[in-house]
Amino acid sequence: MEASNRADEFVPAGMASLGIEADEIEAAVMSAAHQMFWPGIRELISTDLSDVAPERNPDLSKPPES
Amino acid sequence: MTELDLSLRGQAAAIAAGEIDPAALLDAALARIEERNPTINAVVETFPDRSREMLAAAPEGPLRGVPVVIKDEWPLPWRAQRFGAAEMFAHTEPAESGPYRALRDAGAVIVGVGNMHELGASSTGNTSVYGAARNPWDTERCPGGSSSGPAAAVAARLVAGAVGADGLGSIRFPAAYCGLTGLKPTFGRSALDGHHAAAVTETIVSGPLCADAADCRLFGSALFGESLEGGDASGLRIGVVRDTVSEDVAPEVGDACEAAIEALRAETGGEVKEVELADLAPATMSGVLIINAEMLNGITPAQLNDVDPELSPVNRGFVKYRMLLPVAAVAQAKRMRALMRRRLAALFEQVDVLAWPTVPAVAPPLEAPLVELPSGTLTADQANVRGGALANLTGIPGISTPVGFSSDGLPIGLQLQAEWGRDELLLDAAEALERANGRRWVELLSPLAAEGEPTEA
Repeated sequence: MEASNRADEFVPAGMASLGIEADEIEAAVMSAAHQMFWPGIRELISTDLSDVAPERNPDLSKPPES
Repeated sequence: MTELDLSLRGQAAAIAAGEIDPAALLDAALARIEERNPTINAVVETFPDRSREMLAAAPEGPLRGVPVVIKDEWPLPWRAQRFGAAEMFAHTEPAESGPYRALRDAGAVIVGVGNMHELGASSTGNTSVYGAARNPWDTERCPGGSSSGPAAAVAARLVAGAVGADGLGSIRFPAAYCGLTGLKPTFGRSALDGHHAAAVTETIVSGPLCADAADCRLFGSALFGESLEGGDASGLRIGVVRDTVSEDVAPEVGDACEAAIEALRAETGGEVKEVELADLAPATMSGVLIINAEMLNGITPAQLNDVDPELSPVNRGFVKYRMLLPVAAVAQAKRMRALMRRRLAALFEQVDVLAWPTVPAVAPPLEAPLVELPSGTLTADQANVRGGALANLTGIPGISTPVGFSSDGLPIGLQLQAEWGRDELLLDAAEALERANGRRWVELLSPLAAEGEPTEA
């Protein structure tokens, strides 16, 4: 099935499922945010990182432990 | 030219030598804020009695008696932060924050609170509960965000140093837009206590915004709680990544940064190497996702349904949209972070710094913050985050340093990034670049600072 990027489906459904209300302007902002964010989110989720070992409690002030 | 126009280190040295009366300097700073701030809205609150109390109690520290500004992102003992917003979705109350303590213990005098982009949610600074801050180089342009007020305050020479915060570039972006030097420290090295996200954040740091690297070194030493010693950038190995961060930029920005990289190479007797750093786009999205997940901060749908109507429509909508960000993507973002950290660790065996434009275009208009790039028209936020997010995602330090001006007189900034803990090297490199350019970019004054009179809005 082809993935959907349609804000007019995703955003209202998501808001309704969480019980979050939005006026017309807020809905337009959310739609614009979705158009902006979702392609990048899709790209990230679709990147195969299965061979990348996660860092356990990384200390971000230092290089990763090898 | 007054004592207030001295550099941060110049003010500190003159006070220590007894050449300047710090009480007179404080009065001068308050008077200058009153005179110039209405044009740029950089400082949202002053508290002369509290400032005088700080001065009276100031220890013999490295910043004794020097007036500074702190971003509206931390509480003070007499004032809760507002995060530039009518509602910030977190409990706040007056308190001794880490940056406050660091400044107090260094002897500095907090003279005012700096404006910021509402909820820290943009690189432009064009939205705030206090009204937008304005860029002293052109008051119709964005000062950059989210540390808009601290940057504008220093660029207008209201003060010589200010504390900003950086979660995706929020110190480096306004530094670039306002012609300043701004240091995003290695994660965890600078004072953060008291920030409402301090317990959960893996991205946000405090850092200095000053005219040049030497002032950032002095101010940064206070925020770090340790002396950032000067070193030697000789033989600097400069890494250049041929990707959107360096290629999809306005021609004037690209040219100025290329020239600066070559000048830095020549000054240090170093070398420029083209290096590979794949997956910058998903890494950028990873940084965006992680900080937005941090900012959820326990918000409930009920709170969102009762959001303060004074919050801007954009952020009312955006904080609601955050609730829809998929946990699968956030989990993937943390795996991407692990990958990028390992790649950077390997890369920093080949080079000492990575260099690319801090922002791909100069400050856009406040009313329409869009930028024209070779790839087309983008919002400034879309464009800027591509160069800013990597340092916050991975924890490495970054610095923006002025390297030129556009044909319409707006500053251009070059970003240098280094390995974890090598903040001092970034300062060394920025100082080398200043020498290479005869310090002309760091010594130029904005029209507001140069004339001492408001420019036409």
